[in-house]
Amino acid sequence: MLAYSCARRGAAIACLGIGIIGGTWSAPALARVELGLPATQAQVTIGCLYPMTGRAAIYGKDSVAGIKLALAELAAEADAPRLRVIVDDDRSKASYAVRMAEDFIAHDKARFLCGMVSSGVAQAVSKVALKNKVVMVGTDHASSRLTIEGLHPYYFRVSNDSYTSMAAGARYLAELQKKTGWKRLAYIGPDYDYGHVSWSDFQSNLEHLGVRYESVGMFWPKLYEPDYSAYIQAMLKAEPDIVVTSLWGGDFVAFLKQARTTDFFTRIRLANFDTGGNYEVMLSLGDKPPPGLILSARHHNNWPDTDTNRRFVETFRQAEGRFPTYAAEGAYSGIMAIARAVTKAGGATDMGAVITALEGLELHLPEDPDGFNSFIDPDTHQIVQTQAVGEVVANTAYPPAKVMLGKWTVYGAEDLRPLPELVRSRRAKAAGAVELIE
Amino acid sequence: MNVGALPPARMRRLTDMTTFYAILMDGMIYASWLFLVAAGLTVIYGVMRILNMAHGSFYAIGAYSAASLVGWYFSSNGEANPYWSYAILVGCALLAGLVVGFVIEQGLLRFMYKRNELLMVIVTYALLLILEDATKLVFGVDPYFTYQPYSLLGRSMIGELAFANYDLALVGASVVVGGLCWFVLNRTHTGKVLRAVIHDREIAVAMGVNVRLMFAGTFIVGTTLGALAGALTAPSISVSPGIGVEVIVLAFAVVVVGGLGSIEGAVVGALLVGLTRSMAVHLAPEIELFVIYGVMSLVLAVRPQGLFGRTVARKI
Repeated sequence: MLAYSCARRGAAIACLGIGIIGGTWSAPALARVELGLPATQAQVTIGCLYPMTGRAAIYGKDSVAGIKLALAELAAEADAPRLRVIVDDDRSKASYAVRMAEDFIAHDKARFLCGMVSSGVAQAVSKVALKNKVVMVGTDHASSRLTIEGLHPYYFRVSNDSYTSMAAGARYLAELQKKTGWKRLAYIGPDYDYGHVSWSDFQSNLEHLGVRYESVGMFWPKLYEPDYSAYIQAMLKAEPDIVVTSLWGGDFVAFLKQARTTDFFTRIRLANFDTGGNYEVMLSLGDKPPPGLILSARHHNNWPDTDTNRRFVETFRQAEGRFPTYAAEGAYSGIMAIARAVTKAGGATDMGAVITALEGLELHLPEDPDGFNSFIDPDTHQIVQTQAVGEVVANTAYPPAKVMLGKWTVYGAEDLRPLPELVRSRRAKAAGAVELIE
Repeated sequence: MNVGALPPARMRRLTDMTTFYAILMDGMIYASWLFLVAAGLTVIYGVMRILNMAHGSFYAIGAYSAASLVGWYFSSNGEANPYWSYAILVGCALLAGLVVGFVIEQGLLRFMYKRNELLMVIVTYALLLILEDATKLVFGVDPYFTYQPYSLLGRSMIGELAFANYDLALVGASVVVGGLCWFVLNRTHTGKVLRAVIHDREIAVAMGVNVRLMFAGTFIVGTTLGALAGALTAPSISVSPGIGVEVIVLAFAVVVVGGLGSIEGAVVGALLVGLTRSMAVHLAPEIELFVIYGVMSLVLAVRPQGLFGRTVARKI
């Protein structure tokens, strides 16, 4: 008879369980969608990666809808390139996304990669793009690390990054300080690259603007945290005048829900400059939003009030039966940017020509106010756009949401670009760190 | 003037009674939620020796059922009494747990009870994947928001601190669930029979105990507890795909720390994880995630069977 510990065996099985659960998102996805022309007729194949499962699935779904809108627009143009777009589920897992990106390139002969919601996933796939010398166009992740420290010739991004959003936010708060004299600031962001880079971008912008403030707390909940009560109490205790957050999606909604049952909003103003103005958040606020919210997002359904934006939002609504989140406009912009670059370069066979075409490429996008076109900065490969920061106001024009953003403060695109010295300094620091490691 | 958080400030905070109460209350609230999530998992393992990987899916099903029904209740009954939404929350969790638990136990698990524990991990993992996709097919990927039951109860001041009454009610709910589990196991005839099954399944069968019925009942109770945890959490979060997978890892951490299959262990595990995490959030937020798994690793290093797990000799 061999005796051994039954309970230890149980613990070992439990650890196996945790391992399997951890690997759940690495299981094969079943969500491949092929859009545009079939392989035999297409001039260019684009492989897109979005989460179709898990918490960020709504962004994947809206991105597919945005891609369809772009393809429909291009199909109506006589001289537009013939595109085939494959979209698959990256399950928000870097290792899985890397494998899929390599499959796109090897088996589907993709010349472009696009998409990605998670900055962590995007950084991993960006390395695949560099290794295989294919162009990657980011549409929905925001860490500025990708366009500053981690930039390579094949990476471009067509949605606002954390630097742009935080530059707008810092300007807003600088102006607010002149009116209200706020001093104490706290930050809460998800504990991964995007959260940390957003805070760093925000601080560098405040410093650049000469805003004097006291940082009274930084909080780093894990992504998809269900319970924010401890953070809310810790922030109330720290007594900041303003809390800046980069929580996004369901996390931001959960934070708002939980904070509104305390006296958080009577004592503190909450600002979310990158994702807080998303339609999903407006929907969750119901008809009694908490006071004092300062929000923005990478695209707004009700700003700018231009024909292009109205048409984009309405076409989306007609196709999908609901209003879009900002992910749709990002994906739409990505496909339009690739199409215009291919046209400008005279095809996609010469990647050098495509890169040259993308650098400085001008696009008129739904989030561009009249008289302004977005353009891609040749130095950072980051799209340069205006940004509007707003407050929550009653608005029933976008049902079922009962509120939308309004009372806009708009910041010009040129003001939101990182200074060349800052870009150089961040790149030099990163290069120094790499040398040190080596 | 950007001074950040300095170590002396942390030291001051340690001696601050308000912070102490905040840590205590936040830790209790988080521990209650953790216990609600982990209770069903530990009940099923304790009786059936099945490490139910699909437990997170039951949590998700409970959350989706509650969020969709309560959402419908508020949108279609403008004049309705909002307090009925709590009955809907609990009612749909019970219904979802009973139906899903019964179907899975009768349709799948009862054919596999004599199989190896490891095989059951794989079977329930497959179930998790199926239920994840089934949930997505039924409810879609759009998030569901049900804020009314959370905000309806208002808040209470405890000293200088404001707490949502819903969160405090959650503490009460977890005490009720834990107390009921303990009472049934220790003070009822069914509980005695269950303990006999836990102690020695073969002898229990020889004594005329209907083990299959006990297993079916236990699984349905475990499933219902998972669904109840999801339903009670739904008003405070955005219910969207993947929520089940996220909680199951924490639930495993709790039951491993406490000792698999032990209700008392789940209580202590939840309290330990909850209070440690709360302390980290208030005093050293940058290491919050680390401390949860740090505690788990430390406990497993000292007591691999968990705090309340028993080492039992077993023939192989």
